Amino acid sequence: MLEGLVSQESLSLNSMDMSVLERLKWVQQQQQQLQQVVSQSSNNSPELLHQILQFHGSNNDELLQGSFSQFQMIGSGFGPNYNMGYGPQHEAMDGCISRTSSCQMEPVDTMEVLLKNGTKEDRPISLKNKRKQEVKTREEENTEKKIKVEADTESSMKGKSNMRNREASSETSKETLKGVSEIPKLDYIHVRARRGQATDRHSLAERARREKISKKMKYLQDIVPGCNKVTGKAGMLDEIINYVQCLQRQVEFLSMKLAVLNPDLELAVEDVSVKQAYFTNVVGSSKHSIMVDVPLFPLDHQGSLDLSAINPNQTTSIEAPSASWESQSQSLYNTSSLGFQY
Amino acid sequence: MSTYNMVKQEFIKKWITTLHMLDCSVEHPLNVTERKNAIKLSSDIAMAAARSGSTVWSRALISRSGNKTANKPVARRILKKARNRLKNRCLTLRRNGNFTAKSGVRKRTELLKSLVPGGELIKNKDYLIRETLDYIVYLRAQVDVMRTVAAVDSVTGNLTNDNK
Repeated sequence: MLEGLVSQESLSLNSMDMSVLERLKWVQQQQQQLQQVVSQSSNNSPELLHQILQFHGSNNDELLQGSFSQFQMIGSGFGPNYNMGYGPQHEAMDGCISRTSSCQMEPVDTMEVLLKNGTKEDRPISLKNKRKQEVKTREEENTEKKIKVEADTESSMKGKSNMRNREASSETSKETLKGVSEIPKLDYIHVRARRGQATDRHSLAERARREKISKKMKYLQDIVPGCNKVTGKAGMLDEIINYVQCLQRQVEFLSMKLAVLNPDLELAVEDVSVKQAYFTNVVGSSKHSIMVDVPLFPLDHQGSLDLSAINPNQTTSIEAPSASWESQSQSLYNTSSLGFQY
Repeated sequence: MSTYNMVKQEFIKKWITTLHMLDCSVEHPLNVTERKNAIKLSSDIAMAAARSGSTVWSRALISRSGNKTANKPVARRILKKARNRLKNRCLTLRRNGNFTAKSGVRKRTELLKSLVPGGELIKNKDYLIRETLDYIVYLRAQVDVMRTVAAVDSVTGNLTNDNK
């Protein structure tokens, strides 16, 4: 059975100018064969995996293997019909099956799995320029036959979404035809357009770019404090600019402070090993007592606080930390250079 | 957060060495502003050196700092390879000149580019944001280190005062 699959695939893959009818026939044959595969799959999952890998050829080996590891949500999306072991192999195999078929499979009606927009690694994007490394890794992860994988709930898979799946399957069957025609072009990452969205190449690339940017903005939200409340690119950029400016101002101020405290350009902390110990031990404790906590912005306030009240703050708060802190600072002082004079 | 601590340790090591180098090269009765500039310069160089290499901002910062140090052998010693790589790119892109950005996002990206060292060199907005992220992390590390050092200085200063 699988040899038949292999031959069929190889024939279809090689021929560029297949007619639509031929492709449809091929797809249907695939489905039939894969239904058989599914029925036997519970016994043979690792072997099947291996065979299907071979079947896809050397070009796709890396792609498949890379993407198999990513298909973690497939297992969760399957209904009780799919009562097989939920190991990673099984999930990968299911992913493989869903990839090779154009979704219609028994016992589940259609195995249309769409990637959520939020998941970064798995989302295939069609791009013509391979500038970035992300693009390259995504290429490796996806096959030429594009896939959108979406974790669906068990109930929806079973009952209501039969109609939806059928519609989706018809849509996706058309898309697989497009995908088949683009198989030999290995440079491209393929994307399945959602319903109602333009499948124009330029718009796809644009969308991909926009999604990357929005992803980056999300990263920035994690780093820049206070970014969660602001929505929209302009607002977030405002926050980022504000943050960078404040950090730079802090550097200015702190360098001035250090210049004042050290009459001759020597810092109190000289010994590197002492410094390392200092960092691991003291930083944690000192953060509470001496340093104003950095994430707690607004920085403007902080800056002004620093200017006016930092010495009193420090003198008062020094009593708070444990004696170990003082002993450590004493040791630092002892090991520091002789240049530290007052 | 362990990587963050590593960043800080890296930074402080390099800062000490660069500060030493600068200290050796300049004559000693320095007033406060000169000292401050030296400290800031050395810390910037150290921050960029700690990042060392694949980011645009670090290379731009190094080349920018290289111009500030009056003493060329010092600069050469500290900065070495990374400086030359970005020199040409910096020059070519300054020729582009200023152009006013009208829409809000555009204006702000321009502003961000002016803030982040080497930001003007980056045309891709996506890449600019990535650079900004990296720069922010290292800037925070710099601020944290400087703050702790300043705190230690003030503490030891107070202790010596108490002892006296």
